[in-house]
Amino acid sequence: MPYTIPLGPYHPALEEPYKVSVRCVAETVQQVSVNVGFSFRGIELLVQSREWVPAVTLVERVCGICSNVHAMTFCHAVERLAGIEVPARARYIRTIISELERIHSHLLWAGLAAEYMGFQTLFMEVFALREQVMDLLETISGNRVNYGMNRIGGVNRDLPDAQPIIATLAAMAETLKRVLVPAFLENATTRARMGGVGPLTREQAIDWGVVGPVARASGVEADVRCDHPYLVYQELGFKIVTQQDGDVRARVVVRALELLESIRLAIEALRRIPSGPLRAFEGMPRIPQGEAIALSEAPRGEVFYYVAADGADKPARVKIRTPSFVNIPALEAMTIGQQFGNISLIQASVDPCLSCTDR
Amino acid sequence: MNHAEGSEPDADVRARLAAIPGVGQLEDRGDALWIAAPELDVEAMARAMTALDCRLATMTGLARDDGETTIIYHYLRRGLAVNFKTATRGGAIASLAPAVRPASWIEREIHDFFGVKFVGHPNLAPLLLPPGLKEGFFRSPEPDPAPSGEP
Repeated sequence: MPYTIPLGPYHPALEEPYKVSVRCVAETVQQVSVNVGFSFRGIELLVQSREWVPAVTLVERVCGICSNVHAMTFCHAVERLAGIEVPARARYIRTIISELERIHSHLLWAGLAAEYMGFQTLFMEVFALREQVMDLLETISGNRVNYGMNRIGGVNRDLPDAQPIIATLAAMAETLKRVLVPAFLENATTRARMGGVGPLTREQAIDWGVVGPVARASGVEADVRCDHPYLVYQELGFKIVTQQDGDVRARVVVRALELLESIRLAIEALRRIPSGPLRAFEGMPRIPQGEAIALSEAPRGEVFYYVAADGADKPARVKIRTPSFVNIPALEAMTIGQQFGNISLIQASVDPCLSCTDR
Repeated sequence: MNHAEGSEPDADVRARLAAIPGVGQLEDRGDALWIAAPELDVEAMARAMTALDCRLATMTGLARDDGETTIIYHYLRRGLAVNFKTATRGGAIASLAPAVRPASWIEREIHDFFGVKFVGHPNLAPLLLPPGLKEGFFRSPEPDPAPSGEP
């Protein structure tokens, strides 16, 4: 006899609130519905009451994990709207912070995935590694969350000496290759626990419009860093990581390999960073009437910003579309036909962010 | 973000966009195509963009003084961004949700924020609407005092 179980909004696998109602027959999931909105803060509306400078501070609070990408993408849209050319050194610094943010986000997710599997030793290894990149971000920005690096026209702070950062990242890459990547790619426990679970075919991925590692794990070769180049990714020779299986394990493999690519990108940017100014202008920005869009590849996938200005000292409209907003609905496709006991792992494999989704 | 190198929208893409019923002037702003289309046939647009392998990234709602809502459909594919700008008629517009899965949540959000009626949406239930607020609360929000810095 069919039965329905509500999971959430206080969730067994996530700290953020959302609700998944699952209808099952025996242990098999037949129907899924997702409810969000428990963390709604109205940031799109609030930002219309903030002047351009505090608006950057506000949009950085969309997410506590990928805060930098929100502030940066908002700045990109405003800079395009106003015709502001960001100096080369600032573009390199933005690239470096973006990749450090991706490393910490992917490691956070990898650690939680290990915990959901009951693989506590791997969780400890991953979080010890993550602490190193958190230290780097704190060294550069002074903060572990909400780095405050971006301003309209450039960045607020310069980098300290690059060599110690490069040395730390190189050591992290060695640990990743020696411990984390084999643990997720070759370990018998992880393979058995994740292989074939929560599949999303390439056709389904396109149909649901998913983005980021979720799409790439289903064989969709899409990444904003390549598809709509920004910052200095073209100069650094960016490589897209894809897998074909579309299951939980494929999502894990994509993120594990992207960690290595992000470290390579950050080190390459640190080696090539030119000298020069950090910002296009000093003082308050003057933003003319107009509108623009901007895209960035956040750790969870494509972030989209639309910004409109009417010549006033505040934005007229800011639209924010986060990757989780399009990835979470696809849980339906990944979950139907699966065992009930796998639902938490499948949900975690999407790396859903409700703070982003609800804004 | 710019058109990827060597991938500026070609004449064929422009011709297929121009053939969508209701499409007006195409404006290339370097990073994206912007299309003003007050009388846009949005279902025909959706079919044409699917045929062009373009993905609906999102939609933006903007409140207008006449009570209608400007709707911008943002489409993406590698090296190409296309933005169709149209408006509701009588507070309503055809839903893309029956044919385009990602449109479902997007339209529910715009319904919450601007009160737009998406005709044909299979489930226009609130998505993000906070308790105590009515659909369309982005139109006449309570003034939000900026932080004064005082405790």
